[in-house]
Amino acid sequence: MIALKLEGVRFRYPGASEWALDVPSLEIERGEFVTVLGPNGSGKTTLSFLANGLVPKSVRGDFEGSVEVFGHRVSDYTVAQLSTLVGTVFQEPDSQLFCMSAEEEVAFGPENLAVPREEIAKRVEWALDVVGLKGLGHRPPSTLSGGQKQRLAIAAALSMKPSMLMLDEPAYALDPVGRVELYSILSGLKARHGMTVVVMERDAEDLVEFTDRFVLMSGGKVQAVGPPREVMGDPAALARAGVSPPQMAEVASLLNARRKGPPFGFLTVEQAVAEITVNAHRHTKGGSR
Amino acid sequence: MIPHPVPGGPESVLRLRNVKFTYESGIEALGGVNLSVDKGEYLAIVGGNGSGKTTLAKHMNGLLRPSSGDILVLGAPASSRTVAELARVVGYVFQNPDHQLFCGTVQEEVAFGPSNLGLGPTEVQARADHAIDIMGLSHVKGRSPLSLSLGLRRRVSIASVIAMRPQVLVLDEPTTGLDAGEASDLMSIVRLLNEEGSTIVLITHEMKLVAEHANRVVVMAGGRIVLDADARGAFSDPGLLRSSKLLPPPVTLLAHKLAPIGVSKDVLTPEELVFELTRGGVG
Amino acid sequence: MTGFMDLYSERDTFLHRLDPRVKLLAVVTISALAFILSEIWSLLLLLAFILLLMALTGSSFRKAFFALKFVIRFMVLITVLWPLFDRSGTPVLFSIGPLDITEPAVWRGATSAVRVGCFATVWYILMFTTSQRDLVRGLTKLGLRFDYGLALAISFRFIPTFGLTIESIKDAQRARALELDRGSLWRRSKNYVTVLVPTVVTALRTAHMLSLTLQSRAYGAVRERTYLREVRMGPRDYVAAAVALLVFLLPAVAMYHFGVQL
Repeated sequence: MIALKLEGVRFRYPGASEWALDVPSLEIERGEFVTVLGPNGSGKTTLSFLANGLVPKSVRGDFEGSVEVFGHRVSDYTVAQLSTLVGTVFQEPDSQLFCMSAEEEVAFGPENLAVPREEIAKRVEWALDVVGLKGLGHRPPSTLSGGQKQRLAIAAALSMKPSMLMLDEPAYALDPVGRVELYSILSGLKARHGMTVVVMERDAEDLVEFTDRFVLMSGGKVQAVGPPREVMGDPAALARAGVSPPQMAEVASLLNARRKGPPFGFLTVEQAVAEITVNAHRHTKGGSR
Repeated sequence: MIPHPVPGGPESVLRLRNVKFTYESGIEALGGVNLSVDKGEYLAIVGGNGSGKTTLAKHMNGLLRPSSGDILVLGAPASSRTVAELARVVGYVFQNPDHQLFCGTVQEEVAFGPSNLGLGPTEVQARADHAIDIMGLSHVKGRSPLSLSLGLRRRVSIASVIAMRPQVLVLDEPTTGLDAGEASDLMSIVRLLNEEGSTIVLITHEMKLVAEHANRVVVMAGGRIVLDADARGAFSDPGLLRSSKLLPPPVTLLAHKLAPIGVSKDVLTPEELVFELTRGGVG
Repeated sequence: MTGFMDLYSERDTFLHRLDPRVKLLAVVTISALAFILSEIWSLLLLLAFILLLMALTGSSFRKAFFALKFVIRFMVLITVLWPLFDRSGTPVLFSIGPLDITEPAVWRGATSAVRVGCFATVWYILMFTTSQRDLVRGLTKLGLRFDYGLALAISFRFIPTFGLTIESIKDAQRARALELDRGSLWRRSKNYVTVLVPTVVTALRTAHMLSLTLQSRAYGAVRERTYLREVRMGPRDYVAAAVALLVFLLPAVAMYHFGVQL
């Protein structure tokens, strides 16, 4: 089942000479954790607005092509209807949290859908629990930390029970430990609830261990799509996209450039430890080098 | 490593002595900080969100005044000078450039700072032009700052501060929202400024940047300095960093984990790690 | 400037438990009463009654004092300024240059001051005992369109945020050697223009993001939305509503029907 399907999609902001988005074809499978990686201006944010129809219904511009979510043509539905299928979380929680308490924030979506009160209460409790904000329902969002606010924005989308989450730079202002915690929560949603997760980011460093497939973007176009090893191990593709590889990938390419034998492909510290120690043992054991 | 206050000598540009700061709400954000910064240093103040690093930085140009303790800027007490006066010697670049930009063109925006210093128009223009040049903004100098991308807006904001030629430049998370290319360009410019004599105080939680650029690292957690050492010393204790909500660069972590097979722990960049690995015949 | 949240404190008093609609009604009837009463002694009685209600809000003395501080200042201001503008009547107490300060004017000033004191204090009672959420819910139950209720709620929510943003913008401009803390009033006002543009830009950006967010949370999807928070009138509320009405009706009838001087 295809969660998100783009065909011949092109979008240009009013008055712009270039396409902000130019994607002839892209498919995201249900239950995948996809990271859309690209520098600023690559079209990632515009892409995040496609799934629930904000582009082109609310965000004006020249639009071509078709977008389908879970088999439904986006152009046939309103943004409100699509929000029950696709939850969208934008950058910077401060302008997404507008209620006086966390609980209200999370209840807002289901209330708009006329979900019965008892059900809303259950969803609010569940959503806050899933993102690790259990018991903080009464707190005003302004008293929460940056990381908590970010998680609250996610909970507010989750309470609508979508099947897919699109998140535009959800770790924007978080510290390194906070970032990893956030991505773990998203990964947990995929693993335990079958959620399709699409994250837009500029830096792959902390995402490699959670991502099923990377989509590299630059200049509005998709430059490469593939599993981490394939994409991160291709310096040419990364350079074309203007994206830096994770440090471990850099180390692997530097090492591979000056040795013979099977190339290293590690992307995370754990993988590197494993591959390097195995290689070291092979040398000491074999002694036939 | 126990931090010890360095007596501010003639080269001291900033000296904070036992600075404490408590917000009106009663929360203590700084609990007795001692810090001395010398001319020409490139210092990184690191810590997780809520560690107090931004609170500390804001004491350097008077944006915040200590609840107790004293602060000397270029040898003179900061308490008797307003923020605007201190801005002449300590330039502070905010994280959100949109909180500063208001002029019709980049040229005007960058000239705004120096024009507040009481200089003649030719001098103001000269300083603005020089700053625009250093920051690589010549190609957009006639455009409205608000129409530019975030990376360029941030550069305009920095240009408008360096145009005042402050001796100390404090940068608050300057790479937030920038992609790798933009961040790298920016950090090169900052390094250039340091080489030309500016004292740099970089507030960040991006440890890869710190490893690459800073020569001194101050780690903060819970409103206190937990470590004040040169860059290599700071990364020698990943446990300490983690408890301060920071992660050492992956290459450093890897070096630590490969120590049993003879790899040195003192590694800050991929190149250094590869050197270590090939040297030991491990790679 | 503090937000709505700072005035409300969560407690379990009789007033807190009342339906917000009843409290709104009470504010209206008591204000209407303050409006029609003309004698200073009856107004002082009303003020005393209101202060008694204030005591029932369970608010700390410090908080109540903080709120009343503004009211008292305002009342003093009115009492002092009134005779400067209303110089009719006799006897003249004293003169300040060409201005005659007359005794009746002083009394009228004091009466107006107490009247305003009643308006303000009863409003504070509402705010001390009603959460913003309940207030908006009460209004929507009375028929206010949810759109307006939401606009109201969002404004309350963002007031402190914008206060902080403005402070941040001021700091950013100060850091570019702009003097906002000293200098002539004229110069400082001119300088505040540099604070205005970034504030407006930030406000517009936030508004844009909010609009996208509201749409992404299905705002406006159905005609009749549900509410997690419910407010229901119980017997106690009906009794309180009746009392609120009587508080106005009895004196009103006495005044207009029986000609009692109140």
